[in-house]
Amino acid sequence: MSDHDGKRDREEPFFIGSGGELLRPATRRKFFRMMGTSGAIVLLPSVFAGCDDDDDGPSGNERPQPVTAVTFDLRTDVGIFRLVHVLEIVEGAFYTAVVNKSDFTTIFNADAQEVLRDIRNAEVIHREFVRTALGAQAVPDFSSQLNQTTLAAALSSAASILTTARMLESLGVSGLNGGGKYIKDVRNLLVAGKIASVEARHLAALRELQPPAGVDANLAFASDETIDPNGRDIKQEAGEILARVKAMDIISEPLETNITISNPPDASQGVPTPSFFPPTP
Amino acid sequence: MEKNEPILGGIDPEIMQRLCNRREAIQRGASASAAVTWGLSLGSVPVALAALAKDVYAQAPSDILDALQFAFILENLENEFYKAVLGTSAVAAQNTAFNPVRAAIQALPNGAAIVAAVRQIQKHEQQHADFLRMTAIPLFGGTAPTITANDFDFTGGDGTGTGPFARATQEVDFLLLSAQAFEDTGVRAYKGQAGRFLIPGNTNADVALESALRIHSVEGRHAAKIRRIRRQRNPGDTSLRFIGYIRGGGLEAAGAGNIANPPAGVVDALNRIYGGTSPESNTTHVFFNDVTNTVATVNTATMSGVTVVGPGETQTTAATMAFDEPLTKQEVIDIVKGFIKDDPSRGLP
Repeated sequence: MSDHDGKRDREEPFFIGSGGELLRPATRRKFFRMMGTSGAIVLLPSVFAGCDDDDDGPSGNERPQPVTAVTFDLRTDVGIFRLVHVLEIVEGAFYTAVVNKSDFTTIFNADAQEVLRDIRNAEVIHREFVRTALGAQAVPDFSSQLNQTTLAAALSSAASILTTARMLESLGVSGLNGGGKYIKDVRNLLVAGKIASVEARHLAALRELQPPAGVDANLAFASDETIDPNGRDIKQEAGEILARVKAMDIISEPLETNITISNPPDASQGVPTPSFFPPTP
Repeated sequence: MEKNEPILGGIDPEIMQRLCNRREAIQRGASASAAVTWGLSLGSVPVALAALAKDVYAQAPSDILDALQFAFILENLENEFYKAVLGTSAVAAQNTAFNPVRAAIQALPNGAAIVAAVRQIQKHEQQHADFLRMTAIPLFGGTAPTITANDFDFTGGDGTGTGPFARATQEVDFLLLSAQAFEDTGVRAYKGQAGRFLIPGNTNADVALESALRIHSVEGRHAAKIRRIRRQRNPGDTSLRFIGYIRGGGLEAAGAGNIANPPAGVVDALNRIYGGTSPESNTTHVFFNDVTNTVATVNTATMSGVTVVGPGETQTTAATMAFDEPLTKQEVIDIVKGFIKDDPSRGLP
């Protein structure tokens, strides 16, 4: 992992509002320059205003409808897995952006590159599994609705990438550990468990690649501040997970505000337990 | 039940709450046992109630106790193994047996780092064993048996001391493979037992389930760490991922390529650890949609919407790594029994 990024200019994302702007030489020059660097280019929805309304498929004429709100009814396993689906959508988009960075192979060593590619593949597979499994109850894909300013900052260096990744995986591990008890069908509990131990492997590797400040690199995979005195891992309730996702400000508005829990679990599913989550996940 | 009491009045309120929860769950489409459906179809309330009561307890607290006792044996196996490796076992002979490999680790440039990691792992296994013995097992009315290092044969020889894993006491790579095998087995064992903790409306079961899940993910961290150590010693072996995943299934998933001439007993154990009725190569997973009451069976190796990155990577291989698989209790017993000296009176297989 190099520290080159500390010396590179951090450009603001470059917003393009219409196809016509790309016809202007100055804009076009900047567009191509930013494609060659790690700058972020954002095509605003208005760029697509000139497209027809036909869903023409991969030709590029389709206009994805923005997702405006997502709710979770945690009284059902579907609701619980919709929250999982939201996290997987965010993770899939984030890690895909990471591995697609033009300087990915220069800011990360071979170990970290393999780690991040493997995580990216797994999160995309998790996302598509949940989407396929939930069918009509799946959360619509809002991957194109990430907050570009937050994303650009998260992608701006190896350090910021790994810090963001540690937080995302911590949310996955703690969320599945805290949410598992509410699951009602044993088949769904099993599949949640299959995902949870993989997320734990992610978290261990990421923490070792970049330990939180003050944590011994040899112990970071499972250091003392993240394992309780009974040897138990982190856990959080769904409300806490959602609050932390919002605090990352990684989903753009108005969608971010409109992601809500419509109903908490029934008492018969289980009762909330105290959170266990380190200050630096 | 008194003569003029309503029929449901004489039944323990706690059972009634569970029956109501269960009835509601069945109305919402959760699976009902044959006895329950039969009782309901007869329109016979007493028959249905009797069957529901039994159905509610199909996953009885005694199931949870059995799972916890089983976990306790496995945690002790891991804990005593690591103590022997570190030279901190209460049994001198166990420490002595591991003298050669302990010295070999300490001679490595990163020897101190490996020892530190193993010490941290052992600390957690001790914490797990203590938690099960002092908190979880008593919560379900049980008493954990006394287990010591003397109950284990880390060569896998069922007490002979000459089992197929004997080289773990001599060679660093063999030792690390053994540690990885124990950790991955532990992850798979907890995963296979988790369903036994699912009792609607039972707070103790919820607490036990959450604790089991939280221990299970720690074992996942351990397993990843051991694999990372092994890959760092053998950077060219790309079947051993830096992320700590299990890649593929069976022997391949063990990533044992750096072990020369593994004994047949080791090959057999690794095939069991990474195989089974739900092998680590499995890519098909089931989800029950409780809104539509339909079952979704998804083969993640072939489902749409996936692209994969990385040299030569395929969706199938990535799919084997994206999910860890369970082992049944019997499959775990068949793996570990060679490391445990038999004592049926204490449940030691």
